[in-house]
Amino acid sequence: MTLKYAYYPGCVAKGACKELHDSTTGIARVLGIELVELEKASCCGSGTFKETDEFLEDTVNARNIALAEELGLTMMTQCSTCQGVIGRVNDKLKYGEQSQRDHVNQYLDGHHYQGTTEVKHLLWILVQDYGLDALKQKVQKSLNGLKCGAFYGCYLLRGQTMTRYEDPYHPHSLEDVFTALGATPIEYEGRTQCCGWPLASYATNASFSMAGRHLLAAIEAGADCIVTPCPLCHLNLDSRQPEVEKVIGKKLGIPILHLPQLIGLALGLNPEQLGLSRHIVSTSSVINSVLSR
Amino acid sequence: MKVSVRIRRQASRESKPDYQTYSVECSEGNTILDVLNKIQWEQDGSLAYRRNCRNAICGSCAMRVNGRAVLTCQNLVGEELEDQTELLIQPLGNLPVIKDLVVDMTKFWNNLKKVDPYVSTASRQIPEKEFLQLPEQREKLQSAANCILCGACYSECNSAAVNDDFVGPHALAKAYRVMADNRDDRTKERIEQYNQSGGVWDCTRCFNCNEVCPVGVEPLDRISQIKQTILQQEKMEDSTALRHRRTMVELVKEDGWIDESKFGLKVVTDSGRDLKGLVSLIPLGTRMVVKGKMPWPWKFKPSAGKLEIKALINAVSQHLKDQGKI
Repeated sequence: MTLKYAYYPGCVAKGACKELHDSTTGIARVLGIELVELEKASCCGSGTFKETDEFLEDTVNARNIALAEELGLTMMTQCSTCQGVIGRVNDKLKYGEQSQRDHVNQYLDGHHYQGTTEVKHLLWILVQDYGLDALKQKVQKSLNGLKCGAFYGCYLLRGQTMTRYEDPYHPHSLEDVFTALGATPIEYEGRTQCCGWPLASYATNASFSMAGRHLLAAIEAGADCIVTPCPLCHLNLDSRQPEVEKVIGKKLGIPILHLPQLIGLALGLNPEQLGLSRHIVSTSSVINSVLSR
Repeated sequence: MKVSVRIRRQASRESKPDYQTYSVECSEGNTILDVLNKIQWEQDGSLAYRRNCRNAICGSCAMRVNGRAVLTCQNLVGEELEDQTELLIQPLGNLPVIKDLVVDMTKFWNNLKKVDPYVSTASRQIPEKEFLQLPEQREKLQSAANCILCGACYSECNSAAVNDDFVGPHALAKAYRVMADNRDDRTKERIEQYNQSGGVWDCTRCFNCNEVCPVGVEPLDRISQIKQTILQQEKMEDSTALRHRRTMVELVKEDGWIDESKFGLKVVTDSGRDLKGLVSLIPLGTRMVVKGKMPWPWKFKPSAGKLEIKALINAVSQHLKDQGKI
């Protein structure tokens, strides 16, 4: 049976991290996963709508989920933050009182949130629905010898409390994917912690110090690259890495890959097609190590 | 059952930490504190740690167990060993160690003092009878009032780890507790104070405080409530943090998705008015252009459902206004 999902791209994957959209759709084609893009969806608010009012976050995202329900499909996210925010709203409305659903539905003109679908990150879909054995069979270029450090993102691990995919302090889904692709997972302190992105627009020192300590820990543990399922983490760890280096006073130069880019390399996709040149920190060391096999 | 327990040892403030492993005979139903007691009483009297009530009330025995802060009198050996093979016990994070598992909490208490953590009635006349509080008034502050000041949230706080000025989740949960108290008469000053640097906007929303709090205070949610109150103020001095929140709502209402270049200019440069902000964006902008990463406004595609989203956000905003919430 073909796996088919309602694809929620999120803002960043269509803008500053377009390579995420390109690599997700690229690997979906190779793996035979059908994605129906939610063209009418909107930004989840990245956790800030709740700071204005929780009802704003609930209604905007109930509408997003309703769009997937109308297609009769599970919603697929590709961003830890989108997942944590939309997943939490789905948990709250699906398992909460009918009156909460009714209240939200009063505001969804032309749509109706029913609580009949799930919200799942690409990472969880690959591990749970597609299966790591099936993924392994699709590997064209084993990533043997490549040492990957995972960077999960707070919202993916701790954003949802009612339905949980894994232990927020001892997750292993990313490491399991690395192993399936032939790469070596590197464990380091910080892989479950915050990249600092939410503070990057105004508390830059704190934000970049946060990113810096985790990147240093990964390098010290021997990682060749960091792999993240969150484009917001990617922005702070890659695009801001020059500022991060300034704040901590140390050279880093560690490539940061989006999860589907790493998978795409193993599936034999062209690095250019995966957008690996659209990074601030050069990814050539990773590409060379994979292509030289 | 025999359990392997690895403990971080440190003889004094200045000495180098080391790890020591003990083998302890215990049962799944024992608490982590029972295990520590067994080690201290039966194997190694030199092990230092804090304990008192054994009943999750006093907050003395908070430590890091298998990577995150817990009350050792509350967590059971069996639960901890469900997916781990040994118990790893370390002192709380973000605070200096005095000896072994005992940390110096001076900074934690000083930070608490910074939020003026007392219900103030100074400007009122002393009433003949005590101040009364209705059950529904109490309900508003109940979760924050559960705090036992154990330090678990502070230990795992990502912001406290890098920002000395940040008062921490425990202090802000208390701040909300006094702010939400109907007997307190300093709301206006508090809102201004918590809006300052070191206050609510320095929280990075990593959820660790909510995750480890042993008594359901959910400090992050209390911080969000303070932020809501701040954002409701019409006459609040503008700041990048406030613009960040307001611009998010504004741009989603306009286009459905966020136009990132517009967002950056509005938030960081205050639509071109803040020259320092503008200058700060130049290196980032330049390198994004060079690498083909720049989200140019002419390449931005609004959501096909943008009119629906605008109507939805307008209707929700009206509802919140009617309720006096925004």
